[in-house]
This record gives sequence, structure tokens and C-alpha cells, in this order.
Amino acid sequence: MPNRRASRNAYYFFVREKIPELRRRGLPVARIADAMPYCSADWAKPVSTPLTRPGMLVPKQNVSPPDMSSLSLKSDQALFGGVFYFLDIFSHGELPHCEQHFLPCEIGCVKYSLQEGIMADFHSFINPGEIPRGFRFHCQAASDCSHKIPISNFESGHDQATVLQNLYRFIHPNPGNWPPIYCKSDDRARVNWCLKHMAKTSEIRKNLELRTVEDLIVGIYQEKFLKEPSKTWVRSLLDVSMWDYSSNTRCKWHEENDILFCALAVCKKIAYCISNSLVTLFGVQLTEAHVPLQDYEASSSVTPKMVVLDAGRYQKLRGESPGFSHFNSSSQEQRSNISFGDYPSGVKTGQNSSIRGRGITRLIESISNSSSNIHKFSN
Amino acid sequence: MSGRARVRARGLARSPRAAEVGRPQASPSPPSVDLSDNEASSSSGFVGTKRTLQKDEDGISSGDVRSTFMERGVKIGRNFMDLGICTREKLAHVKDCKTGSSGIPVKLVTNLFNLDFPQNWQLYQYHVTYSPDLESRRLRTALLYSHSEISNKAKAFDGAVLFLSRKLEEKVTELSSETHRGETVKMTLTLTTEVLSSSPVCIQVFNIIFKKILKKLSMYQIGRNYYNPSEPVEIPQHKLSLWPGFAISISQFESRLLFSANVSYKVLRNETVLEFMTDLYHKTGMSCFTETCEKQLMGLIVLTRYNNKTYRIDDIDWSVRPTHTFKKRDGTEITYVDYYEQQYNITLSDLNQPLLVSLLKSKRNDNTEARIAHLIPELCFLTGLTSQATSDFQLMKAVADETRISPLGQQQRLARLADSIQRNKDAHFELEKWGLHFGAQMSLTGRVVPSEKILLQDHICQPVSAADWSKDIRTCKILSAQPLNKWLVFCSNRTENGTESFVNCLKRVGSSMGFNVSYPKIIKVQENPAAFFRAVQQHVDPGVQLVMCILPSDQNYYNSIKKYLSCDCPVPSQCILARTLNKQGMMMSIATRVAMQMACKLEGELWAVEIPLKSLMVVGIDVCKDAFRKEVVVVGFVASVNPRITRWFSRCILQKATTDIADCLKVFMTGAVKTWYKYNHSLPARIIVYRHGVGDGQLKTLLEYEVPQLLSSVTESSSNTSSKLSVIVVRKKCVPRFFTEMSQTVENPPLGTVVDSQATRSEWYDFYLVSQAASRGTVNPTYYNVIYDDNGLKPDHMQRLTFKMCHLYYNWMGLISIPAPCLYAHKLTFLVAQSIHKEPSLELANSLFYL
Repeated sequence: MPNRRASRNAYYFFVREKIPELRRRGLPVARIADAMPYCSADWAKPVSTPLTRPGMLVPKQNVSPPDMSSLSLKSDQALFGGVFYFLDIFSHGELPHCEQHFLPCEIGCVKYSLQEGIMADFHSFINPGEIPRGFRFHCQAASDCSHKIPISNFESGHDQATVLQNLYRFIHPNPGNWPPIYCKSDDRARVNWCLKHMAKTSEIRKNLELRTVEDLIVGIYQEKFLKEPSKTWVRSLLDVSMWDYSSNTRCKWHEENDILFCALAVCKKIAYCISNSLVTLFGVQLTEAHVPLQDYEASSSVTPKMVVLDAGRYQKLRGESPGFSHFNSSSQEQRSNISFGDYPSGVKTGQNSSIRGRGITRLIESISNSSSNIHKFSN
Repeated sequence: MSGRARVRARGLARSPRAAEVGRPQASPSPPSVDLSDNEASSSSGFVGTKRTLQKDEDGISSGDVRSTFMERGVKIGRNFMDLGICTREKLAHVKDCKTGSSGIPVKLVTNLFNLDFPQNWQLYQYHVTYSPDLESRRLRTALLYSHSEISNKAKAFDGAVLFLSRKLEEKVTELSSETHRGETVKMTLTLTTEVLSSSPVCIQVFNIIFKKILKKLSMYQIGRNYYNPSEPVEIPQHKLSLWPGFAISISQFESRLLFSANVSYKVLRNETVLEFMTDLYHKTGMSCFTETCEKQLMGLIVLTRYNNKTYRIDDIDWSVRPTHTFKKRDGTEITYVDYYEQQYNITLSDLNQPLLVSLLKSKRNDNTEARIAHLIPELCFLTGLTSQATSDFQLMKAVADETRISPLGQQQRLARLADSIQRNKDAHFELEKWGLHFGAQMSLTGRVVPSEKILLQDHICQPVSAADWSKDIRTCKILSAQPLNKWLVFCSNRTENGTESFVNCLKRVGSSMGFNVSYPKIIKVQENPAAFFRAVQQHVDPGVQLVMCILPSDQNYYNSIKKYLSCDCPVPSQCILARTLNKQGMMMSIATRVAMQMACKLEGELWAVEIPLKSLMVVGIDVCKDAFRKEVVVVGFVASVNPRITRWFSRCILQKATTDIADCLKVFMTGAVKTWYKYNHSLPARIIVYRHGVGDGQLKTLLEYEVPQLLSSVTESSSNTSSKLSVIVVRKKCVPRFFTEMSQTVENPPLGTVVDSQATRSEWYDFYLVSQAASRGTVNPTYYNVIYDDNGLKPDHMQRLTFKMCHLYYNWMGLISIPAPCLYAHKLTFLVAQSIHKEPSLELANSLFYL
């Protein structure tokens, strides 16, 4: 089954569009698969930039990447190695008639490059502060229909100054230029306001340059194909639900409570979407840092009639893996994390964590590492 | 479709009153302002008028309806805004007569009463200025009323605009009074307009007059309706009391002014917030009391009986006590205890209770700081029903027994109201002062249009009852259905057995209705949303025709699966709740319904009615607010694409707007016409658009903004002969009710009753149609207003066509209350607004994937 699905990548849609023409040429093409060989030459031409809908594009190893030699890969290097930060901040609703427009409660940030995929991520809950009198219901309702973070008595929230400081250390560990930060255009007003507000309380003055992901995608596309993609295409590229339940995408709290709205997940999904739609156009192999591939490999051993799927055990395992301890709310551990100096609390880098992969690879890895864990999978 | 969704859809189609009673009132009325307890503010109902403007306007304007509104800058009720729009005069074929003639005449009683007044009756509107200027409306009123020439007359005053039933001698009258502080205030009364009885301004004044009259009958306004707290209906076993009351309006009908009343109930809980809190405290204990209390109370609507106003609990202020002081508007400080003692003569018993906080709605639309009101829990009564209560069958039954009153009960209540208005001395006097006379209940003649035959594959069926023909077509084959060969069923381990027997049942039922269902691949999944979602992702490929999910529970699963299968990977999907399959005795009927839905999702056609017009396209449009983002509006558009009107083209878009006006109709219409062309190799000769979901006061926007969009796409689609277009506004909410008089008793009118005279409006081409049966309670007619009509169909044909359209909703084997394309559009927008939150894939546009 996975083979069939995997053929639906950008190339698939390209081939599908070509079929009528091939038929006119008198070629015997009944199915997509028949047409594949005839299209690879056209695929490589720079003129044929396919504006495909983002669909099921996870490519497989056995599908050889289309020949991209006619594109100058050299000029792409700058774009390719470039590091972007995706940021989102959630709020307990929007308070229209109030000086306090938003109540920041969760922050997620991802370090990403086209070449390497997600390089590191940062996540933290934020103590929203006092809720303005009379707006409790409003905030409660807004929270209930999205991220569901409790508006009071939620111990995991850190104070705003600390969070901001940690964010700064995440995106700017070394002296030099501050990198540009990207967020979705719909969220820009909120993120901007929250950043300013948090800076006010913490008295750290640093004007981050906040740009929109949509513009970034347009920019990358333009640089690559020398023409502008349509706005709807960009929008639909970002607005997909296929990664909603991917493992290692939401923060631990949201994953455990099975809530889809998570600031970290928003950032990671931006990365997945860009990887899925743009990186493939560059003709580069997607790694598990680009998209959660493992979720899709897991089913390779299905019996055709009955399948039993078990997504829970990955989560179980993850809860115990040291790479995810960032969430731990015990302040002592928090402090000790910081005192190591390398990374502030809430930050996790790909290189640092001992278990890097997601899902099944990590499962296999850990099984080979310690056989003592095995009994835990039986439940 | 899950059981939940079906119940909702059916509720929509069959019991329009359910929502009214069963839910706590979501929109609290704007509180504050009129604490009308003295004569001075007896006109306090005039909240809707702003006292500004018209400073430099002295001339008496003519009686033209709209110009008076615009000029005076008076903010008027939204429903009055539609009144000035005359659509009928532009429709040549109905200019003289808009009534039909076919069908069997039927005598109907209405809930409308004549309101008589002398032929040349009119109102005199004065503008009142004060020098020096005064802010307090109460003071303004008191000063003005201290003059006998004003106070003796019938009058209504809002602080700036004064309405009198008789003219003052002078065009400009100067009066002066002295306040008790000794200041002399000069008042200048300038006649601005003589308002004719047909003017909307007049109707507004009538509404104020009746507010006063109902007060004399000890009925008080809560929200928009009037209730009588002195005659409550108690349901002691559930701690509930129902206040009987009426929704009342005075409006201009065909040729005369009519008073209408509909029975309404206010559901109150005999429990104050304080009692609720104490109860909760004993249950939960100290530790998590505040938290649970906030969770449970937040957002509830409370009623304060001292002024009969409703408020929403927005917050609880644990730091403030009734013994604390607050600042009154005049600057003096007073404790809450003293305030209630002085103002309402109420003694508070618990001085340690925390206070509730309610956010007051800002009257002006500027960005002023929000105002809050503190309320005493002891004095706040909970209203409406909790979700816990609505799921209590016994409780809901007890409430429904009281609130869903039969036509006879309704008739008796109306008679009592009319009687008391006529008999009550004060009420009578008030009417007389204005020169009005409360007349008799109106009856009129409607027509029952012939019932329709249901066309199936090899059988024409004349249903015994048009309300439900499921029994009549049980053995018949549906019109067409694609065989279902490759499909998947996802279920959890626990439901495996039930699933298999259900699938077998489906196969059996399917083959008897001519829908071939092969055995699916059944995939067992662990019971959590992530596992379900991932399994769907892994197993659904383009070859799959349909995906069925047997869901362990509701929302989480449903939303993510629907979103994925409607947008990312467009495949029709069918979700069923596992507990639905547990109802053993119902298995066959559930399977029948599911099989029908599945057939529709595979572009099948179930049944048809006879459509005399060849080449007719019927379109339904509806709008719905997104559940998460209130600023996003979902617009649904469903158009028929074959002459038999059995196949549909459905599109949907999300737009950012605060109004329910659709933007993208041109694209939709062009797409629909193109699809029609693809199937029929010609363009539709006629297009009839049913527009649902239009609010009060939007008629003008509709005419000026939506109709041109539709028109332009229709005219652009072909160069020589373009399709003819009609646009009909469909409204389920309307004032009149109709009953048939049987020997000694009254009943709901028969299905297919059309009313197109007397209860309609002269400036519109409109009619009422009763197309649904109410098993309990009184039936709500649906109101149709043809606002644009190129087709020139006779009113008879238009009415019958509309009735035919009510037969074609494939999710219900019977008549529904609105034309099927409207309900399809509603289902589509509802699915998108609740679950998907984005535009579904175009690949699904040709199937009813949202059923």
C-alpha cells in the first residue's frame, strides 16, 4: 500500500497533467506508472515548474529523484544552507476593548534550513499574568476552542522575562547579526504584540525583525524558478492537516492531552510543509529532520486483510527518553539545565539528543540499546 | 455522518422550536440604562434612538420612509431597515397580482390581530433642545413632563426626540422649568416631521406603546420578549420554573398594521448563584472550589429579578464583598448592601459572598474601555439549561411538555392576551390616548398545493404521508448508484464484531435498493485519535472510493478525519459512532440510512420529483460563522447540474467578513454553469437561487451586492441567450403562525399550505409555505421573498416549484422545511465551520460528500 501512495508527489501530478499530451502522441499510457518514463525529461526542464497542490508527497527511497542537473545547484547553496527561525506565540484569546490585547501563554520556535531540515527547537509555556477583570470567560472560551491551556493554576508557565531571554539565547547564541524570524501572516499581529509586551515586562530591548512565512516561501520560489507563485498555492501549501498527529511534533503536554493546537507544532508543521513542497523541487532527499518520515514507514509490514496499528507505544517511549526532559516543570532541573550554559531551558537541539529519530527507527534503536526496555512495549 | 450530526440535521428540518427552548439564551440583552421605576422615565423603552444630530435641521421633511431615517440619523432596529426596500415594483409580472390560484382553499386562523386607527392618523415628531444643556435623560424627561400641555398628551420621549399624537399649536414651542436646585432650564420644541401611519418610525413608536401596555398587564421585557413572572409554571422535580410570555411585534402587512404574538417561555432555574456556589462548596470542598466554581459558572446567563435583566457571568471577583463600596454615577460612594437596600428594598443576607462580574456591552462602537458590572450572587438566578440538563431526557420531556404547546393551546393563550389587552383599564386607556383600537384576530384563506409523487427507478410512489415516506419506498430501487467496490472500514478492536455484522447488513440493504456494495477491507486500529488518523493516512490511496470510520467517540476523531479526507486527500468518508451500532433492533433502519448516504457520497441519485420545466438549475446558498474564528464566514453554494435535479455541484469558501454577505458568488455560479454545460452540452435556460441565512436588515445589501454577482456570471457565460435568473430569500424565522380550524379545535395546517395574501407585504413578492410536519407543538411556516425574477414564472408555479424542492433532501425520506439545496448548503457550511475550517477539495464538488 505505501508504494502506491508514495507515487503521489509533485512528480505524480506533473505526470498526470502530461498524460493527455502523451496520449495525443500515440503512446500507450493507461496509468500514471506507464507515463512516468516519458516525463522525466520534461520534469527536468526549468520551464515546467509545477504548481501542485501539496498532497501526499512523502517520497520513497526507491523512487529516484528526477534529474535536476539542468538547474544550477551552485546558486542554490546560499538559499540552501540559510537558517530560518519559525516562531509562534499562542494567546488566551484576543481582548478587543482592553489595553492588554493578548495574554501570551505558549511559545514555540524552530531552527530550520532547507538542507538540514529542523536543526533545533524551542518550546515553553508562558505565565500569562493577571487576566484583566471581566475577561475571564472570554479567555476561557478562546482557550477551550483551541490550545486548551488552563488560564489559571497551570504550573508549567514560566515568567515572561525568562521565556524571552531563553528565546533570545535560542535564536542568537553567538554575537553577530540577529537572524530574521518568520511566522504565519495570520499570526503576525499577535506574535509581534506578544514579543513587544514580553520585552516590556522583562526590560530587554531587542527589536526582532518579524517576517511572514508566506513571503519566505514566495522568496525561495522566486529565487529558484524566477517567477512568483500564486498566493493561494502558498496558502494551501501551509494549510494541511496531514502532519497533525505526527509523532514528535507537538509539545509533550499537548501530545499527552491529545490537543492539536500547539505552538511548537505550528512551527514544526511550517518546516514540514516547506520541506515537503519546496525541498523536493530542489531535488534533495528528504530526511527525517525534514518530515516525520518514520510514521509512514511503520506500516511496511502490514498483512493485507487485518492491520493492527499502535501509535501509543512511541509516545510512551518518548516520555522516558532524555531528549524530551525539557518540559519538566521542576524548577531544580530547570536551573541545572541553564547552568550547563549551552542551551537555555526549553531548547533541544538535534545534535544534542541521544535519540534523534522519530517513531520506528528510534524504537528499533532503543531496543538494540537496551533490551530492558522491551517489557514496556507490551502494554 | 454520525448520529450526532443526523440529529442536528433532523432537528433543523423538523423541530425549529427546539433550539429556542433548549438552550440558554446566548445573547444577553444590553443591560443598564432604563431602571424604569418612576413616571419620568416611562418612555425608557426608547433605547434604540440616539439623541444626537438634527441640530441644524428645522424643515419638516416629507413622509418618505428611507430619507427620514437617513436624515435624522436615528439608529433604528435592523428589521425596520428592510421595510423601505420595494422589490415588487420592479417585477412586472407580479406588479398587479402576486397571488396564486391552484390548490384547495383552506381557512386559516392566524396569530395576527388588527390594529385600527382613524384614517388620517399621524404622529408629530419634535426635537427638544435644552438650554443649558443637560446630560441626564431622567432629568430632561422630568422637566419636560412637568408641563401639563405635554404630560396630558399621549407621548413618547427618549431625551431628544418627542412623539406626540396631537400637534402643538406652534411649530416651535418654548417652555421653561426650574430644577429643584433652582436652575431655570429653557426647552425648545421644534416640529421636525409629521409621520404617517405607514412609516417605519411609526411602527417603532407602536412597539413602544405596546411595551407600556404590556407592563400594565405586568409583563416585563427580557431580551426581546415579554414575560409574566407572576404566573410561573413550576417544574419542581427539576428545580425549574418557566415564565410564560410572548414575542410581540407590530408590523405593516399587506394593507394594514397588525399586531402579532407568539407564545414563548423563559426557562429559569429556581436556584440563585449563591445557592449553587454553596452546593458546590459542599461537594468539592475547599481545595479546588474556586477553580471548579469558575469553570462551572463562567459564561452562564443569570437573571436579576429586581430589574428582570439578564447578564452573562464573565468573571468572579473573589476579593470584593457586598460590604465594599462602589462609586455611583454621581460620584458618591455607597456599599452594595446599602445600594440594594435603598434602590430595591432588598436586604442581603450573606455579607461574605464574592461578587460576579459581567462585561457590559458597549453601546457605542468606539474603542472605549469596557465597562463592567458587579452582581450579587444571592440575587442572580441561573437561566437556561446546562448541557447536563439538556441530556437529561426526563427533564427535557418535562420542559417540552410545557413549552411545545399545541395549536389549540397557542390559540387559547392568544385569546387570553387579546382579552386582557382589551379589558385592562390602564391598557385600554393608553391605547385610547393614542387613538388606537385593538381589533379582532385575523383569519385568512390559504391554499393547499397538490402533493407530489416520488419517482424511483422503476416505480412511482404516492406517499401516504409526505412527512415521511420511508415506509413507502422500502422495497424500491433508488434512481442510480455507482457500485462500491473498493472501500475501507476503520474500527477499533472493541467494535470489530459489530462492524462486521453492520457491513453485512449494509450489503444486504444495499442490494435491495440497487446499490451494490462489495466486502470492504476492514482495518483494526487502536482506540485513539492519532492512531485512527495515521491509519487513514496510510491506507487511503486514490483508488479508494469511500472510507468508513467506526468512531469510539465524537469530536476529536471526526474533525481530524473529515479535515484530512475532505482537503488533503479527497475521498468521500462516512463516520459512524460505535454506539450507534449497538442498537440491535435498529440495525436495519440504520443501515438503510447509511447506505443511502453512502450512495449519495458516490454521486448516486436517490429519488426525484416531477419537474415540468426543462433545463432548470436550482441553487441553494447559505452562510455560517466559523466555530473558531468569529471573523470568518463560511459561504456554501450548491447547484443542481441535471434537469431532473438529482445531482449537485457543491462549493464552499471561507471569507473574512463581519456580515453574512457572500463575496465569491460569481466564481461559484460560473463553475456551476460550466459543470452544467459539461453534463448537458447546453446552458441552463432558467436558474433559481434560494438564499438562506439572511439576517434582518440585509435585504438591500443582498440586492445591491449579491444579485449583481450572480447576474454578471450568468450573462457572461454565454453570448447570445443567457439564462434567466431568479433570487429568492428563504427565512425560517417569521412572525405569522397559521392554524386550521377543525370542528371545535384548531390544528396545524396541512403540508403544502401556501399563504400569499394579507399576512404578506405589499412591497414584496412574497409567500409563506408550510412544508414540514410538526409532531408536537405549532408548525413554523417558511417565508419566501422573491427579490429578483427574470424568469417570470407565475406565482402558482413559483410556489409549487419551491414545494417540490422541499422533497429532494436525500438525508431525510420526507418533506423538509426549506428547499433541499438550501439545506445541502447549510450542511456543507456547517461541516466546514465546525470541523474542517478550510475549503474542501474541488474533487469532491460533484458528490454530496458532506451529508
